[in-house]
Amino acid sequence: MTTPTSDASPASAEPAAYLDMPPERRAAAKAQAAVLAKTADRIARELPFSADVDDFRRVLVEEAGS
Amino acid sequence: MTDLATLSACALAKAIRDKQLSSVEATKAAIERLQACHELTNCLIALEADEALSAAKAADAAIANARATGPLAGVPLAHKDMFDRKGKIASWGAKIRPDKPAVADATAIARFKAAGALQIAALHLAEFAYGPTGHNYVLGHARNPWDPTRMTGGSSAGTAAAVAYGAIPVGLGSDTGGSLRLPAACCGVTSIKPTWGRISRAGAMPLAPALDTVGVIARHVEDLALTLGVLAGPDPRDPAASSVPVPNYVARLSDPIAGVRLGVDAALIAEAHPQVQRMVGEVSAILIKLGLRRATCRFTDWQTLDHLVQLVQLPDASAAHSVFLRTRPTDYGPQVRARAEVGHFISAVDHLTALRARGLILKRTLAETFKDVDVAILPILADPLPTIAELDVGGGPQVQAAMGRVVKYTRPINYLGLPTLTLPIPRSGGLPNGVQLIGKPYAEALLLAIAQAYQREVPPEIARPLRM
Repeated sequence: MTTPTSDASPASAEPAAYLDMPPERRAAAKAQAAVLAKTADRIARELPFSADVDDFRRVLVEEAGS
Repeated sequence: MTDLATLSACALAKAIRDKQLSSVEATKAAIERLQACHELTNCLIALEADEALSAAKAADAAIANARATGPLAGVPLAHKDMFDRKGKIASWGAKIRPDKPAVADATAIARFKAAGALQIAALHLAEFAYGPTGHNYVLGHARNPWDPTRMTGGSSAGTAAAVAYGAIPVGLGSDTGGSLRLPAACCGVTSIKPTWGRISRAGAMPLAPALDTVGVIARHVEDLALTLGVLAGPDPRDPAASSVPVPNYVARLSDPIAGVRLGVDAALIAEAHPQVQRMVGEVSAILIKLGLRRATCRFTDWQTLDHLVQLVQLPDASAAHSVFLRTRPTDYGPQVRARAEVGHFISAVDHLTALRARGLILKRTLAETFKDVDVAILPILADPLPTIAELDVGGGPQVQAAMGRVVKYTRPINYLGLPTLTLPIPRSGGLPNGVQLIGKPYAEALLLAIAQAYQREVPPEIARPLRM
């Protein structure tokens, strides 16, 4: 069995620990990301499994002149 | 001779072509106006007077020998300083810049050159084009030519200020969350943010490539039409550049607009300041008088669109700045630094969900919001034109909310990729503002035809400080 490496330290468990940010700005960024994550989760539940990032460009062209 | 400041690029090009005016005369006059405009607005990053005059002399010689055939031959222009130009280093409005000169022109710059236009200056922008107000903590803030205590809007601040002042007739900008519409509205001029992919992004500084849209700011709608025709079209250097055929936008300016259905989302407009609501009503009334038919539309769940665009934009921008944020964080202004950090906290899964959903949500918007309308009208700014001091929030705790309020009506449209055109309000002696007309994909010709008719009722103006 392998033992956890230093990557499991509390510091690196913090998202974007590599950025030099004061605690209040870090907290604000986390809060904003959490709000957006809720929307992403709701939208993900509506998406067909086959949804693809290229759908957007395809729809733009299909709808040209509509 | 007519005051050159008031001429459109189309009229200037004709005067130069007909030899009523030389390119050198037009360029000298534009340089003087840009210098005066800069004193008032901080619009310049680099004035390239000697190069411009040499190019103007060459243009005059080519015209004299009937060798210059481009529609903008000899016309002096200036652009937002975020486009590659061979042999030069763009400032990006920032302390962090490309480490070597560009090896080729950006496609938009190359197409303007091929049309005969000259570039006489590089213009102010928000740091990394990442700011909707014209504040720039590295270069100094841009100031509005109507009232230098007020913001120009951003990020294409210098282009809008110079166009409004009459220093240049038209110039390039870009729009990732409102950067063509906000400065055009704040400075009382017009702009077109075309359908995403209509103009190549090759050689333009990326902010959030999935949203970045190159476009133009002008006083005259005919200049939007002419320059969009020059710039649009496929480009092997940008795989997202669309191959949908480019119409003759100038010829289409006189398309009939009677009966075009103007969609009004009363509930969404009601979220703006009462003065802004009145402005939208005033512009709508003019459009109805011109023959458009008022219809009701509803952008379902605007807040979801606003969240989705952030889920795309924030990680896109953070990825572009990932290395510099770690290695040179103190070289960023406080606002861009604070905004560019946030994307690091958004998961790749959430980012991809927003990208995967984009086609479905665009299709749904067209089927529902645009079911019974041809174009929709919305505010650009939610509030009357703010002062620079009011929005001088740096990177403080209010930054996300304050910037979110500024882009409330613009940013969600970038998620949909739809074309929008800025109509300046009738000022009646007061401060400028503007509203946006939003079209279906590739409906730029219709937007331009409506705007051309509107401009006969609300003619372009030259901005000078108001006595309030």
